[in-house]
Formats: sequence, C-alpha cells, structure tokens
Amino acid sequence: MTATPHAATPSALPPVETPESQEDMRLLVAGQWQLMWWRFRKHKVAMVATAVSLLIYFVAVFAEFLAPLPRDHYAADYTFAPPQRIKLILEDEFGNREFHPHVLGYTVEIEAVALRRVFKPDPEQVIELGFFVDGLEEYRVLGIFPSRKHLFGPKDPTQPFYLFGADKLGQDLYSRLIFGTRISMTIGLVGVALSLIFGILLGGVSGLFGGTVDNIIQRTIEFFRAVPSIPLWMGLSAALPEDWDAIKRYFAITVILSILGWTGLARVVRGRFLSLREEDFVMSARLDGVAELGIILRYMLPSFLSHIIASVTLSIPGMILAETSLSFLGLGLRPPVVSWGVLLKDAQRVQVLATAPWLLIAAVPVIVSVLALNYVGDGLRDAADPYSR
Amino acid sequence: MADTATPSAPAAGKEPLLRVEDLRKYFPIRQGFFGRSVTQVRAVDGVTFDVFPGETMAVVGESGCGKTTAGRCLVRAFEPTGGSILYRNRDGDEVALDTLDNKSLKPVRRELRMIFQDPFSSLNPRMTVMDIIGDPLRVHSIASGSELEDRVADMLLRVGLRPEYMRRYPHAFSGGQRQRIGIAKALILSPQLVVADEAVSALDVSVQAQILNLLQDLQAEFDLTYVFIAHDLSVVEYIANRVSVMYVGKMVETAATDELYHNPKHPYTEALLSAVPRPDPRERSQRIVLEGDVPDPAHPPSGCYFHPRCRYAQDMCATETPELRPIGEGHEVACHLAEDLDLRGITDLVPRD
Amino acid sequence: MSNSNHNAGADILLDIRGLKTYFHLDEGTVRAVDGVDFTVPRGTTIGIVGESGCGKSVTAFSILQLVEKPGRIEEGSIVLNTGGQNRVDIAALDHDSEELRQIRGKDIGMIFQEPMTSLSMMYTVGFQMTEAIRLHMDVEKDEARDRAIEMLQAVGIPRPEQRFDAYPFELSGGMRQRVMIAMALSCDPMLLIADEPTTALDVTTQAQILELMQQLQEEFGMAIMLITHDLGVVAEMCSEVVVMYLGEVVEQADVDTIFHNPQHPYTQALLESIPRLGHSHEGRLNPILGSVPDPYHRPSGCPFHPRCTQIITGRCETVHPEISRLDPRHTVRCLLHEDPHG
Ligand SMILES: Nc1ncnc2c1ncn2[C@@H]1O[C@H](COP(=O)(O)OP(=O)(O)OP(=O)(O)O)[C@@H](O)[C@H]1O
Ligand SMILES: Nc1ncnc2c1ncn2[C@@H]1O[C@H](COP(=O)(O)OP(=O)(O)OP(=O)(O)O)[C@@H](O)[C@H]1O
Ligand code: SF4
Ligand code: SF4
Ligand SMILES: [Mg+2]
Ligand SMILES: [Mg+2]
Repeated sequence: MTATPHAATPSALPPVETPESQEDMRLLVAGQWQLMWWRFRKHKVAMVATAVSLLIYFVAVFAEFLAPLPRDHYAADYTFAPPQRIKLILEDEFGNREFHPHVLGYTVEIEAVALRRVFKPDPEQVIELGFFVDGLEEYRVLGIFPSRKHLFGPKDPTQPFYLFGADKLGQDLYSRLIFGTRISMTIGLVGVALSLIFGILLGGVSGLFGGTVDNIIQRTIEFFRAVPSIPLWMGLSAALPEDWDAIKRYFAITVILSILGWTGLARVVRGRFLSLREEDFVMSARLDGVAELGIILRYMLPSFLSHIIASVTLSIPGMILAETSLSFLGLGLRPPVVSWGVLLKDAQRVQVLATAPWLLIAAVPVIVSVLALNYVGDGLRDAADPYSR
Repeated sequence: MADTATPSAPAAGKEPLLRVEDLRKYFPIRQGFFGRSVTQVRAVDGVTFDVFPGETMAVVGESGCGKTTAGRCLVRAFEPTGGSILYRNRDGDEVALDTLDNKSLKPVRRELRMIFQDPFSSLNPRMTVMDIIGDPLRVHSIASGSELEDRVADMLLRVGLRPEYMRRYPHAFSGGQRQRIGIAKALILSPQLVVADEAVSALDVSVQAQILNLLQDLQAEFDLTYVFIAHDLSVVEYIANRVSVMYVGKMVETAATDELYHNPKHPYTEALLSAVPRPDPRERSQRIVLEGDVPDPAHPPSGCYFHPRCRYAQDMCATETPELRPIGEGHEVACHLAEDLDLRGITDLVPRD
Repeated sequence: MSNSNHNAGADILLDIRGLKTYFHLDEGTVRAVDGVDFTVPRGTTIGIVGESGCGKSVTAFSILQLVEKPGRIEEGSIVLNTGGQNRVDIAALDHDSEELRQIRGKDIGMIFQEPMTSLSMMYTVGFQMTEAIRLHMDVEKDEARDRAIEMLQAVGIPRPEQRFDAYPFELSGGMRQRVMIAMALSCDPMLLIADEPTTALDVTTQAQILELMQQLQEEFGMAIMLITHDLGVVAEMCSEVVVMYLGEVVEQADVDTIFHNPQHPYTQALLESIPRLGHSHEGRLNPILGSVPDPYHRPSGCPFHPRCTQIITGRCETVHPEISRLDPRHTVRCLLHEDPHG
C-alpha cells in the first residue's frame, strides 16, 4: 500500500456515533472526582450521614456561640437540676395566649426522709428565652472576633437555663456537651492525621521497596494487631504522668490512639501500591520513560487517594470511641477538659444515675457521630473506585 | 496486501533490527515466613530469534508458555535473567538492550514501544486521552502546550478517532476504541519497533478486523517493525511474515508464515495447527488431540519438553534436549526427528474434495 | 449433514418463543434478551453465536430460570418436551418450585462460562458430584460415588478414583472443564447447555474438550446448546446455528447455510471480517464498521442499522424487522427479506 493520507481510508474513519444526550456528554468528560461524587450522591444514607457529620463539626467549631453558657460556669444551687421543658406559648393572667418561648424556674424542696433536694418547675418563675441573646462572658469566635452573643438562651443570662439538666456542680449539660463535641471530634481527626502520616510512610515504604524492609514492617504490623487494643491503651494512658496539663494529655492520648490506628492504614496503602505496581498502565508509564517519582505521584497516588480518604473516614469513629472509653474509665482526658467521655464518667455511679438519669444523654452524640461517620465512610468506600462495575 | 506491504523473505540481504539470543527469564517462587526463594519458574528458557526491519514477526504459543514474559524482556519492562538482546538503533549502532542502565535506556524507549493486551487496564482511567497519548512527548521533552495538542490530534486521526475525543476519559470508549488509543500512545514517539502483546485478543470479532487492518496500514505508513505476540493462529497467519512457536519457555520452531503453516517441522506446531477450528463446516479438520496438559514451567519434563505429549517421541527424546537448528531456508526447528517426520500442514489437514 | 428429520414436531426438545429478559437498573433498562425464538431438535448440536454482550449467556440463564435479581423474564415461553406429550413451559414455572429444580441438572445440564459459578473451591470434586447426583437420582451414597467415578472416567480424567478426592484448585483449567462436563452429564440430561466451554482454554485443550463433547454426544445422545463467539468452533461442532445481535436472533439456519449462504447482513459481515486459516492471503480483512452499541443506547428500528452496509435508508432506522422464514430451516430478521405474507 502506498502512503496515502491515512485518514481517508474507510477503516480509519470514526463511525458516526448515535447522538448523545447532554448528560452522556458530561459523563464522557467527567474526571474521577466527578464520577465519585455522582456515585456517592446515589447513596442516600451516606448523604444524610454527611450532612449530620458536617453539622457536628460545625457545632465543634462554633461551640461558644451555640452553647448558652460558658464551658466552666457552675452554680452550686442547681446541683442535679433536672432538664427544663421549653414552652412556646405564654398565657397571661387574662387568658391571652402569645408566642413567647420560655422555661420555668425551679422551686426546691428538701425531701423529708432522704434529705434529698427535689427540683420542681415553678410556674411563677417565667424565664424568657430568645435568639442571639447576650451571654455572661465575652468569648472569641474562632479565637479571633470578640462577641457576647449566643444562638439562644435566657434573655437574662443570670437566670437558670438547663435544657438537658445539670450535673453535680450545677453545670449545664447541654452547654458542656457542645464543648465536648470540640474535643471528642478533633481527637478523632488529630489521631487519624497522625495514623495517616505513619501509615502512608510505612505502608508506602513497605509496598514500594518490598523485600526485607517490607517483611520487617509487615511483621511489626502483625505484632501490633495481635496486641489487644483496650488493655494496651489503658496501660499506656495509666503510665502518663499525673501532673501533665490538659494540652499535653490531649496530645499524648492522640498519640496512644494512633499507635494502633496506623497499622490499618499502612496495610491499605501497601496493598494499593502492590496491586498498582502490577497494573498495565503503570508499566506503560514506565515504558514511556516516566521517572519513578512521577509514577508514584502522577499515576499511583491519584488511583488510591480516594481509597485512603475512605479508610481514614472509617477509622475516625474508632478513635472517637476509644477516647470516650478511655475517658470514661478515667484514663483518658480529665476535667477541666470536657469531652463526651469525661461527661459520661459522671454517669458512672449508680447512685448518681438514680438521681440524675439525664447525664446519660452524653452517650447520644457519641452514637450519632460514630454512626454518621461510619455511613459516610461506607459511602466513600463504595464510591472510591468509580471505574469498577 | 499483507504480502505487498513487506517483503515476504525479509531475511534476504538485510541486517536484523533485533537479535535475541538464548533469552532467559526466571521468576523466583517465594515461600515461608520471610519469603525465602525456593525454586524458580522458568518462564522464558532459551528463546532465540531475529527480527528484520519492516517485517511482522509473530510469537505464538499456548497460555503460560512465556510469550508475555519474553515480550516484556524485549522492551525491558523485565530484566532478563540471561541471554542477549541486541538492538540496532536509528543511528545504526547496535546496543545491548539486556544490559543498558536506566539512563541510556531512555533514548531507546522512544524507538521501542509496546501495545498492551487489555484495553481496559492499560490506560490510566484518571487521565484524559490527551494526557495519556501526550505523556510520552512530555516525558521525552519533544513537545508541550499547543504543539503537543496538535500532535495528539493528528495521531488520533491516524488511528481512526476524532480529535474532539481528546478531552474525554478512557471510560467513554469501547474496547476497540481504547485499543486505538493504546496504539496511538505507542506510535506517538515514532518508534522503529513495536511489540504488540495480544493486541487484538480482548476485542470482539468484528472489531478485531478493524484493528488488524489499522496495524497494517500504520506499519506501511510509518515503516514499523512488529513483534506480534498472539495465541490465535488465524490472526497470526493473516498479519505475520514470519512466525516463532514457543512451548514451555522455549522456541521450538521458526519459519516464514506460509512455510510454517503448510510445512511444519515440529510435532507441536502440527498439533497446534490441527487444533484451530476452521470457520467453515466444509473444512472440518482432523484434530490431533494431544494427551495431557501443558507442563508447569516450574517443573518442566526432561529432554524435549514436548516428549510426554508427542506422538512421535522416541527414547532419546526423554533424555536429550533438542537444540534449535536450521532445517531449510529460514526455517529452524528444535526436534530430533525433524528430517524424518512427515507432518501435516493446514492444507493436508483438510479433507479436500 | 448429521440431522435430517428436523422439522417433525415431535423431535423438538426445546422450543423458545418470544423470549424477553430485561435487567432493570438505575441507569435504565437493559434489554439483554429481546425477542429470541429458536428450537433445539433432540440429539443435535445447536450453536448460539454473537459478539460479547449480545445476550447469549442471559438466554442460557433464562432457560434454567437462573437470571439474577435486577433481571427478569418479561415475556415468552420456553417449552421443554421431555418425551411424548410431556411438555412444560419453564418460563411459567415458579422460581424455586420442585419441578424447576428437577429440570435443572436432571433434564438440562449446564456448563458455565465461569467455572467458579458451578464448582466450589471448598469441597472435593467427588463430594460435589455425588451431591448433584443424589439430588436428582434416588441412589445410595455408594452408587452415587460409582456413578461419579464412571463419569470422570468418561470425560477422560486419568486415575478418576484419585481425582475424586481432589479439590478443584488442584486441577488444571482443562481438567476443571472436564469435571464440569462430568457433573453436568452425571444425571444423563437430554440437553446440555455449554456456555463458552472452551473460551478460557488453549487451542490444544479446546480440541480435547470439543472432541470429548462430540464423543459423549454419540454415547449419550443428548442435545447440546453450544454458546460461543468463535465461528470456528461453531462450524466444527454444530449442525444448526443461531446468530444473535443485541439480544435478538437475527438468523437461524443449518450450519452449511449459515457459512455458505448467509442472508442477514450481520451474518455476512461477521463471516467476512474474520481471518481464516489458509485463506488469509486473499486480501484485506473486511471489518464491520463501528462497534456494538452499549446496552443503554439501543438503536431504533433494526438494531444493526448503524453498522449495516445494505441499509434501506428511510426504513431500517424506524421499522423493526419481523422474522421471515426463507425456507423451513432458515429464518432471518431483516427488512431485505420481509415476508410478503406477514
Ligand atoms: N511475575 C511473575 N512471577 C512469577 N511467575 C510469573 C510471573 N509472570 C509470569 N510468570 C509465570 O511465567 C510463565 C509464563 O507467563 P507468561 O505470562 O509469559 O505467559 P504467556 O505465554 O504470555 O501466557 P498467556 O497466553 O496466558 O498470556 C507462567 O507460568 C507464569 O505463571
Ligand atoms: N446481572 C446483570 N445486570 C445487568 N446487566 C446484565 C447482567 N447480566 C447481563 N447483563 C447485560 O445483558 C447483556 C447480555 O449479556 P450476556 O452476558 O448474555 O452477553 P453474552 O452474549 O453472554 O456476552 P459474552 O460473550 O461477553 O459472554 C449485556 O449487555 C450485559 O451488560
Ligand atoms: S524431539 Fe522427540 S518428543 Fe520432541 S518433538 Fe521431536 S519427536 Fe517429539
Ligand atoms: S433490516 Fe435493514 S439495517 Fe437491518 S440488517 Fe436488514 S438491511 Fe440492514
Ligand atoms: Mg500473555
Ligand atoms: Mg456470556
């Protein structure tokens, strides 16, 4: 055959394609993140869970604004005061009903036999509630902008307002739960970030170099995985010096949690590296002359970044649970730091529970956040490889 | 057209482009707690052949006989265990591919390209067609920016795809179209030699013909030399000038296509040819049914690897390994009895009326 | 050719009419099988050919009502005539009725495309075979064992007593395929459905298996429905051929007609596009334009029209062709051959 311009031969002409709809066109030029988003979007539960998780992190960030009371505010008069019911309609003496959100103050009686203080709602004491009310103290939004405003609270900040009841120091559980969100949710993030660094480094080294290095790292991982986690955590936390301040303790606990957390991520990373190394497109890049670093950064990393994100999301709930359990046992964080685990510790004793069962509410955010993050992680995992069928 | 595109006797008077001698590639089998190497898989165990400029040299054989491994050694995706690969580059110098280090390998990589079998796993799903095809140009600092785009567009046209497809991702294409993209990627560096590993095996029958035609057109247009690895003997007969047959890591026969198909000299080649189903009920051939299975390359039989299944085997076959030796014009075979056997080619196998 | 008394009604073992099997997915409905009509005469080998995704496997699964969840048989009848007046419409049976279970494995045996669908890696070959036999035949364990070993012997497995206790992963691809055939034949079915039984195998192993299937057919007299995309295998094995394209049967005829006098443009084009041993120097290959459309974008009218070189412009894009009978053994679905009476 002579060198005729090739595009003119019939076999080379692209077939006339059937007209494609707008949506098909978008699919053809969609990159991996776009495809993943489309797939993730279909996962309804994961979408809801994402919204919930984002909301929880929002709470963590704007805790001062969302909590009606400052974190450490206490009032000995209101020890174990029960939750108040928010009433929306206020009836004045003429029987006119008006929209006026309010709660009722307490009257206190001393029970004759047990000498226990019993709180009763007092219809005479109307504590009016409002949005964007001024609080007791000034605080800084995001640590920068000074403000006194709170999302909602009593119009007169000195009056008692216990939406979820009070603990033994008369501290508002609702406000403290909001502050606890910050610690509990970030300890997951920081712990996972630490695990991620260890995991990617060690897993990457293991998967890339193979051989003896891989063997040593793998055996180490197996050793760590064989150690029962709770006793290990307990042992390590118990070994922390008593006189460490809250910040030190916080970081020490994250490190302890990630000591086991990295092994899972390292396995994921190593597995991905090993399987990707065998992929034809990686070999093809190598034959193109792409340098090793370019192959890792441009070919391998984008292929498993999504898997890493999913694994990371799935390991946050474990960290949250671990922190909660340690703090509950008194081995993790301690007051004055407020976390959900620290709050639950108050509900440890049976006698306390009998008088103030509302303290158990602190378990609700733990359950909700763990479930939500798990569902998000599931959704991400399903969407992580948009090219599988 | 297969005949006119390239001379049917390419050996005549030309220097080979590639000379492969006694190529070997062993894979260690690891076992145990710390992965000690226990034995070896002799995936390629003595492969010898020449490739002449402008021809299509086919390597055929059954699954696991080492075709892919051999092909990957040729493009130095694998480091050969032994033997030599001499390649004559554009400047006319002969370089020893098997010993080049990474740095001196890079210019050779431009001239020596590979087309992969699986059109799905060989394209990075996370890159656009332009990045996939254009990446080699970028890596070798040949073109960038709009020039790169122009060259990719031109290449797309040549492999029969619309340049507008450049912004799409691989998932937007059918298997045949993806294979065209793979071909474009291989050819964008204007190579001399292209190793095509089962380039059409994964495609639908109707699309296979498109790609075979395309490969032939491109060969004529760009003066390409192909090493065409395949297991489908009908396809190979159509596209190749010369054929090498492999069995358990060894080359057992090499000859010009017509010669090999009509006048096979190795009993395995005969059996292989007889086993190909013909798409014509009036040509139902007499199959030579081989007993047993292809041996495991980790534990090959003694002597001639084919002897446990060979209908003509004699005592010496079990003990002495036959060497590849010339038996006629451009015809080499590794069988002790090659001269004495009267084997049937594809025409003899069909009862003609 | 081998079968001569084809059109006598009593000789029809399986009669499929208007079969439609759809998959209802989020992205849309995949009409995997969309109007399949053909008959399987007793004791013959019928080939189903077509390119990947044309619905061959789904047709096979439909015959045994094994189509999985998002998929459903929408329409059509699959009448199995087990002898005399004994007819059952499989499509009308309940999913897990006793009757259906008796048909699967007893009257109809199947070899799957993926060997792993029917062989479990967890149990020995012998265990799986005896289980299958005892499910359908009223025999004792020992008898079932003897029968299983006898079948392993029949499919050419050396030392069957030892292989009886082997796990499937200890066997080579060809051996595994033989075990599958042995299992499928162990209850002496009247019809053996073989879905791409040799596609994953080498040519020499394929030759062994094809030879074996021919021998077993002579011995046991069952009909074989051979599903493949390899026209060579069809030409070698079958007496009757069904050509499928995008879920439809486009042509059915005896093997010689299909290969030497095909009438549907797709069949013609397919035959012209493949390289043939010994004929390859007669010129360039003649490929079919374009590629098989994806299942969500079925062309209107005749589904083959975007690739057809003989298209009747203005009609083929809109009119869906009906089946026309050219002669008693030859049907075509193409507007070029419209039935003047229909
Ligand atoms: N990376 C590897 N490690 C160990 N063994 C290998 C490796 N790659 C291939 N092998 C073995 O080497 C032998 C030859 O494999 P190869 O892939 O070259 O065969 P092939 O002829 O291309 O087969 P196919 O037709 O199935 O592609 C096989 O037995 C295979 O199991
Ligand atoms: N479980 C399923 N879910 C959705 N679609 C399916 C499913 N099984 C099959 N299909 C679709 O039905 C169509 C026919 O598939 P089928 O497996 O019957 O093809 P085939 O002819 O056997 O192809 P091959 O030669 O590749 O085996 C295809 O378009 C396929 O995508
Ligand atoms: S050397 Fe012997 S065993 Fe080997 S192919 Fe020749 S005749 Fe057969
Ligand atoms: S109906 Fe028309 S488009 Fe379809 S095969 Fe026949 S001629 Fe071609
Ligand atoms: Mg291979
Ligand atoms: Mg199938």
